[in-house]
Amino acid sequence: MKKHFAFVALALYLGMNFSASRGGAAVQDDPRQKAYATEPDWNDPQRLIPLNYQQARGKRLFYQYCVWCHADSTPAGPSNRANLNPVPPLMNDGAALNGKSNEFLLDITTLGGSAMGKSAMMPPYGRTLTREEIQALIAYARAIAQPAYQPPAPREPEHSGR
Amino acid sequence: MRGNRLQRARKTHRTSALSQFNSWLTFHRLSLCLSMPVLCAALLLTTRAGFGQGNPAAVADQHPNPDQVWTPQLNAADRCATCHPGVAPPGPARPSVQQPDRVDPLVPHHTKDWGCTVCHRGLGAAAEKEQAHQPELAPAQPLLPTSYIQASCGICHRADLPDTPQLNRGRLLLSEFGCLGCHRLEGIERPAMLGPDLTDIGSKVSAEWIYKWLKEPRTIIDDSGNTVVSGYQMEPRMPQFHLKEEELRDLSAYLSSLRSNPVDPYKFDPKVVAALENSPDLVDQGEARFRQMFCTTCHSLAVTRGGDTKLIGGDIGPEMTKVGSKVNPDWLVAWLRNPQAFLPKSKMPRYEWSDQDLYVVTHFISTKLTDPDLLQGVPKLGAPIPEQIRFGRRLFLKKGCGSCHAAPGMKLQEDFGPNLASLGAESISHLHFGNAKIPRSLIAYLQAKISDPFSVNPTAEMPQYRFNSADLDAMTTALLSMTGAPSSSAMERLIVPRTQAEFHPTGAFAQVYERYKCYVCHQFNGYGGTLATDLSYEGSRAQRQWLIDFLKNPQTLRPSLTLRMPQFNMTDQEASILADSIGWNLRSPAVNPASVDPAQSTPQMAALGKQLYEVKYQCQACHSIGAGGGYVGPDLSNVGNWMTAAWIEAWLKDPQALLPRGIEPRRALTEDEIKALTAYLMTLRQSEPAGRAAVAAGVGQ
Repeated sequence: MKKHFAFVALALYLGMNFSASRGGAAVQDDPRQKAYATEPDWNDPQRLIPLNYQQARGKRLFYQYCVWCHADSTPAGPSNRANLNPVPPLMNDGAALNGKSNEFLLDITTLGGSAMGKSAMMPPYGRTLTREEIQALIAYARAIAQPAYQPPAPREPEHSGR
Repeated sequence: MRGNRLQRARKTHRTSALSQFNSWLTFHRLSLCLSMPVLCAALLLTTRAGFGQGNPAAVADQHPNPDQVWTPQLNAADRCATCHPGVAPPGPARPSVQQPDRVDPLVPHHTKDWGCTVCHRGLGAAAEKEQAHQPELAPAQPLLPTSYIQASCGICHRADLPDTPQLNRGRLLLSEFGCLGCHRLEGIERPAMLGPDLTDIGSKVSAEWIYKWLKEPRTIIDDSGNTVVSGYQMEPRMPQFHLKEEELRDLSAYLSSLRSNPVDPYKFDPKVVAALENSPDLVDQGEARFRQMFCTTCHSLAVTRGGDTKLIGGDIGPEMTKVGSKVNPDWLVAWLRNPQAFLPKSKMPRYEWSDQDLYVVTHFISTKLTDPDLLQGVPKLGAPIPEQIRFGRRLFLKKGCGSCHAAPGMKLQEDFGPNLASLGAESISHLHFGNAKIPRSLIAYLQAKISDPFSVNPTAEMPQYRFNSADLDAMTTALLSMTGAPSSSAMERLIVPRTQAEFHPTGAFAQVYERYKCYVCHQFNGYGGTLATDLSYEGSRAQRQWLIDFLKNPQTLRPSLTLRMPQFNMTDQEASILADSIGWNLRSPAVNPASVDPAQSTPQMAALGKQLYEVKYQCQACHSIGAGGGYVGPDLSNVGNWMTAAWIEAWLKDPQALLPRGIEPRRALTEDEIKALTAYLMTLRQSEPAGRAAVAAGVGQ
């Protein structure tokens, strides 16, 4: 009885397998469909940069807190960037930011510019944003960087003999 | 051998694999027919029958220890981690790593606790790779492409989440474009007013205009004569119905006959009319008043620059580029004097008009916001005849117009379209694809149906909407999140409901609040619009006299904003009522009015505060005083007359305690620094010589 049922089930299963093997592939192959969100490349708006959840969260926080001084256009229109001296780097400025380590960016965002020997106009966000939120912001900056950001190779463990 | 392994796995999870499949199936309400492949796969694993061993793709053959996550509260179990070892623990993205080894990004729900299929869908209990991933093999629960994954958040989170913008926008669009008129949707309630009440529509517009509107509601045309379509903001809320010539005539005749309360033309003061009538700059005066009153905060006007047509202005009210060619001028005057008399649920505030303002503004709208070609191609319709009216009335019901619009003697047609409350869990075998050449998937179906209802059903009653691809994706996401009512009480406990208790003041406050519709733009204790400042704690922030002055003549406080509070021409009495009521009712527990005694601030404290403002903390990066400074935060030139000292002190201590989403970061200021900064800011008053303020702002540059 049990075997008999198993055979019927197998037949149905194979039938299903055969009848449903069309369509759907196009949906799977579109790279945009694999991203949680996208952000247009600031230097080339036609090109969409895929973002994962963490980077998308960073994007949301960026447009709430940072865009006013770290972009040339803002949701409200004009940017505050030109009012500042020294002029802060754009969030996608790979030439300025790719050389900075994640730790440095985390520190300057948490503690503010004056704590890191930079402009005091950069305020500290460590008591407003969580560490995870600041890490998300850094992940977003890395994702949109032009030229593209290359993460450093994982460091070899140091041997005491050297 | 394999049986032993499975027995081990079963012991670990204290339940049999088959019963888990069964409960999983119950949760997803698969029909028996569709469950066959799953049952079969289960049988392949659980029986020792020989045919299972012949299948080289069976997961258990390649991965000796199935890694199973069982989420009892969701009745869900999946084995995705068997082949995806990288999902736990989550970590930063490494694009070079491909699936199945890719690390799950840092999402709020850890796969260890929630499994994978709760968010990604797919057949997590499948025994074969293809079956787990390909939608055609899992018709009831296909794997969700990541770009729509926010739909899964929406199953439990009925309230909008900050990190699901696509889902939130989709829900907004479903609500804004009147989908709830015909369809029932899970978690979104029917708005108070979908389309306007048509009881007196005949006194507002002509039969010819109705004909044009029914035939093609889009009226914005670019330089080359094409109808401009650019998604949400440009689209009229009214969709396009597929009506035949006869139907257009009958419906126009019926609707234009609806005028039970004819407009009584307003009698302007003859002296005002005499003074303005022949004034050469009448239109310019009207436009100036129109701009000064900031009608464009809610209404937009199309502007063509360099061949590119754009709408400038807000989207709370309808776009008004050609409204002068639409409405009867007498109706316009009556409407502006009292919108709620015509549409009781309108969001439009009832302005306080002087005869002069009303005369010039209505003149500007009727003569300048026009398009002589608007009704081009519309036949002369003549007076409606009773037979047309009768047919039109029947059509009104047949086409489901009563789903969104009220008309005399008609009941609201609720549930005119199918119930979509569980559309997101619909099996593709229940969908009718017709002759559409699209992939057989729910997502492809939804997108085809929304972009062109006829493509999947040539006899569809659903009207034509036009959305750009981002909005189409957003709506698809929101629809995919609607998987019906929770199927178990455990699941029900996980639902995060939508909450927005209405804020209803009482007494004289209520009358002014309702008259000027403050809540359309402002938030009050979590209820209201998001266009303007949250006023929940305004009574702790603003000084009474400043509030009165502002309400009488609103000026922008943030130089970077282009939309401003309209000038309602409030009376002195109304402004006082509002200022007093705000002061009494809208207070923050974090602000103690007795905490700061302005009399104790000394010039030394203010001087120290100035030093802190300009040098140590460089507040001028975001704030301006006089001519210099940034424009991220509000201009502080007059803050001493504007804010209370107690508010400034509490704000400097912790801005987010007063405004949770405020962007000013909380700093580690000492008590003395806070006192000094407060003392300095309270000295900033605009009545002081302008020169000093300018010098003060220039120091830090």
